[in-house]
Amino acid sequence: MNSIDVISMGLRNMWRRKTRTILTVLGVIIGTSSIVIMLSLGIAMNENFKKEVESMGSLNIIEVSRNYGMREGGSTKEVKLDDKAIAKIGAIEGVEAVTPLEFTYWKFGAGKYVGHVSVIGIDTKVMDKFNFEIEEGRLLDESDTNAVVFGSYIPEMFYNPKSSYYYDSSSSVKLISDKLIMTMNMDYGERRSRQSSSNTEKLPEYKVKGVGILKQSAGETDYNAYMNIKYLKKIQEESNRARSRNSRGWDYGESSSDSYNNAMVKVKDINNVKEVQEKIKDMGFNAFSLTDILESMQKTSASIQAILGGIGAVSLLVAALGITNTMIMSIYERTREIGVMKVLGAELGSIRRLFLFEAGLIGFMGGILGIGFSLAVSLILNKAGLSLGNFFGYMGEGSKVSVIPLWLMLASVAFATLIGLVSGYYPARRAMKLSALEAIKTE
Amino acid sequence: MIGGDIIESIITIKDVSKIYRVGTEKVVALECINLEIPKGEICCILGTSGSGKSTLLNLMAGLERPTTGSIVIKGKNIEKMSENGLARFRQKNVGFIFQSYNLLPSLTALENVSLPLVFRGVSKKIRNQRAKKLLEQVGLGTRMNHKPNQMSGGQQQRVGIARAFVANPDIIFADEPTGNLDSKTTVEIMNLITNLARENNQTLIIVTHDVNIAKYADRIVYIFDGNIKKIEKTVKVEGEVI
Ligand SMILES: Nc1ncnc2c1ncn2[C@@H]1O[C@H](COP(=O)(O)OP(=O)(O)O)[C@@H](O)[C@H]1O
Ligand SMILES: [Mg+2]
Repeated sequence: MNSIDVISMGLRNMWRRKTRTILTVLGVIIGTSSIVIMLSLGIAMNENFKKEVESMGSLNIIEVSRNYGMREGGSTKEVKLDDKAIAKIGAIEGVEAVTPLEFTYWKFGAGKYVGHVSVIGIDTKVMDKFNFEIEEGRLLDESDTNAVVFGSYIPEMFYNPKSSYYYDSSSSVKLISDKLIMTMNMDYGERRSRQSSSNTEKLPEYKVKGVGILKQSAGETDYNAYMNIKYLKKIQEESNRARSRNSRGWDYGESSSDSYNNAMVKVKDINNVKEVQEKIKDMGFNAFSLTDILESMQKTSASIQAILGGIGAVSLLVAALGITNTMIMSIYERTREIGVMKVLGAELGSIRRLFLFEAGLIGFMGGILGIGFSLAVSLILNKAGLSLGNFFGYMGEGSKVSVIPLWLMLASVAFATLIGLVSGYYPARRAMKLSALEAIKTE
Repeated sequence: MIGGDIIESIITIKDVSKIYRVGTEKVVALECINLEIPKGEICCILGTSGSGKSTLLNLMAGLERPTTGSIVIKGKNIEKMSENGLARFRQKNVGFIFQSYNLLPSLTALENVSLPLVFRGVSKKIRNQRAKKLLEQVGLGTRMNHKPNQMSGGQQQRVGIARAFVANPDIIFADEPTGNLDSKTTVEIMNLITNLARENNQTLIIVTHDVNIAKYADRIVYIFDGNIKKIEKTVKVEGEVI
């Protein structure tokens, strides 16, 4: 029996029992769409998590810090984060770039304006690898020493100390300029100098130049300025030495020029982040990435998805029973027919194919229509902006309630068809095993 | 068939018995049957109700397996064949005519007739050609697209006959083919069946309790209580019209 005949005979039988076929398909539609809609809620939640985490920074950046405390093993040996260690991290497979970081805090002067700015020292060679986007001017490069790139919100932090209006500021401050002053003297430029006495040494003031302003990123780079780490460490040490002398022996911070407290690593492929992070930890450093947060969020959403999917699965199970029931009914009605077909030489495989085709087609149609229905429901949910997600938390604004990706559509049609075939398996076996003689005897 | 020629037998039944178990009771449907049917013969199995005729026919058609003994058809032991082997064997070699027609109610006459060819995997075009030819031969050329419930008993049995002959099988089994028909239609149907079988030199085995049917056969096998009582050649004038 060739496939075309199986198909046409199957379609005929289904058409003969239209109402029952439609009702059975309806069961599958409901089953499929409840799974799809439930999963779409979970997927939307996941996407929202990801967006939210991404807004905090890049997912493929690992923050490394020196390990101060004890490690789990009890060893108190501290590993130095120096140029050698940085080079070693840079050599890990999958690492695109690595830079040491130095976090410092300075007073800046720009014409009549001053501002308190947190300045991060980085390796200027690789600045362009770290997702910095420039709004105005340029990024730092290898040749830069006293050049500064500012975060997007920094101009707003400058003010005119001579003005009575505190907020007479940002609009007129020019940070891209050769004439910036940078000092650790926090009183610099203020109206009343709080500098205690004239016999103290004046903290050094450095002439630096602003070369660029970053694009707004909604992340922490908005509030920082960036400089060559070598130069920054040098002027920081000079200033600290001066301060130590002023305070008679009080030591302001350690000063070893090639040892750092922090570093930042860019990984080429997001999927390698975890692996690289582990390797860095094995070297004896702390390593943190946003992937950690994302993972814990995704664990939460996975369990929510499992619950939602489970609820949906129950209705698909009911639909599967419906298919089995329909097929068994169909066998009862067609007992005689099946018997005649067998007597006329229908092979067992043909009988099985006939029944599996019908059951599979019911599943397939239910799957296709179920997807259509789910898409409609999903559209309505999103339009209505029903904040179902607030139940589960982690919902940002403007995020979708339900997302049905292409793979879910394909998978659910395939799954519904499979359910149909599985449900049809027992009835098909039954039809196969049916005694031809018994079947044609029944008058 | 007529005259003393040695004709090879198409069916050989040897020491066949069939015992049914109903609960703890044993029902002996066939006790010990030995029978050879030559190729091209029209053979009638005659007996009263419950004598075991249908059982014998079903065994020969491979619809049931004998309790003991062997059945060789065209050189093959059919009692040893697998379920699928038997299905293929029936596809190729056997046609069936039932007392209650057993047409599929949802199919038209044409589709019912072409059904055996569907199982053989014959293409629709060839199937329809062949089925049309047979329907014309049984006199239903104008009823091709009628469903069974739109036809009389006699017409339905003609469709059944067309279906049995459509694949041009070597053997045709007919179990009480006229059991549901009136006497006038019976004559028409019997002439149709036997003429078709003779035209193609096909072996026809008819089961009946009706002596009037028996005279259409070359040979009558009398069966009683699961045993063959006697076998008798019918006396016939060459070219006699019945
Ligand atoms: N499936 C069966 N189970 C039990 N007994 C059966 C079965 N089929 C037939 N018989 C018995 O075998 C005997 C012969 O039956 P059957 O061949 O149908 O007779 P016939 O066709 O000559 O009327 C009967 O006594 C009948 O009751
Ligand atoms: Mg009978």
